[in-house]
Amino acid sequence: MIQPMTAKELEYVVDCMSNEDLQIKQCAVVALEGTTPSLRNLCTQMLQTHQHHYDSLLHALQHHQQIAPTQPQ
Amino acid sequence: MYQQQQQNQQHQPILTEEDLVSTVLADLKRNVREYATAATESTCPDIRQMFTKLMNSTLTLQGQLFEAMKQQNMYNTSSPALRQDLDKQAKSYQQTQQKTQQFLQQKLGQQQNQSMYTPNGQHAFNQHQGNQPHYM
Repeated sequence: MIQPMTAKELEYVVDCMSNEDLQIKQCAVVALEGTTPSLRNLCTQMLQTHQHHYDSLLHALQHHQQIAPTQPQ
Repeated sequence: MYQQQQQNQQHQPILTEEDLVSTVLADLKRNVREYATAATESTCPDIRQMFTKLMNSTLTLQGQLFEAMKQQNMYNTSSPALRQDLDKQAKSYQQTQQKTQQFLQQKLGQQQNQSMYTPNGQHAFNQHQGNQPHYM
């Protein structure tokens, strides 16, 4: 039985999705334009992890959609 | 000549690789703190658990990137602390620890002959708080 997400939690979830989105793009720039192979490889791996983080946050949001109240309480 | 210069400029990124990677590292550090704050501010157990997992995962990424940058000499680590500074602080904080232990023995030892640092002692402390007035 999951509890409804609080308004504060929602703010943190969306803020964190913005952060992860920015990190995905930054890692993509290093992966494409970087000159050091080890750093390019690492940023390619990190890019995937950030995508997983983004998915986790989005899934949590979607998971809580059904049980969220439609009226202010 | 001009055309060649323009081409070179197009291929030259605005930021160096070191600047880019430093920005990524700074953001990873910031995100670790953000996830820690989010976890402490969470009410739902599943949301708190998610933020905790994401914090740990981000901390791992930050560590990996830091090590990779260190290997490329992109990161100047702080110089080692001096022996005399360690000696001074160790002595000072041993005294603090002793004083606190004395304080706890004075305040709690009279109630029950149990150490504060055992689980039972913790229980005694709670009892003490609940039943006895404070004279502090």
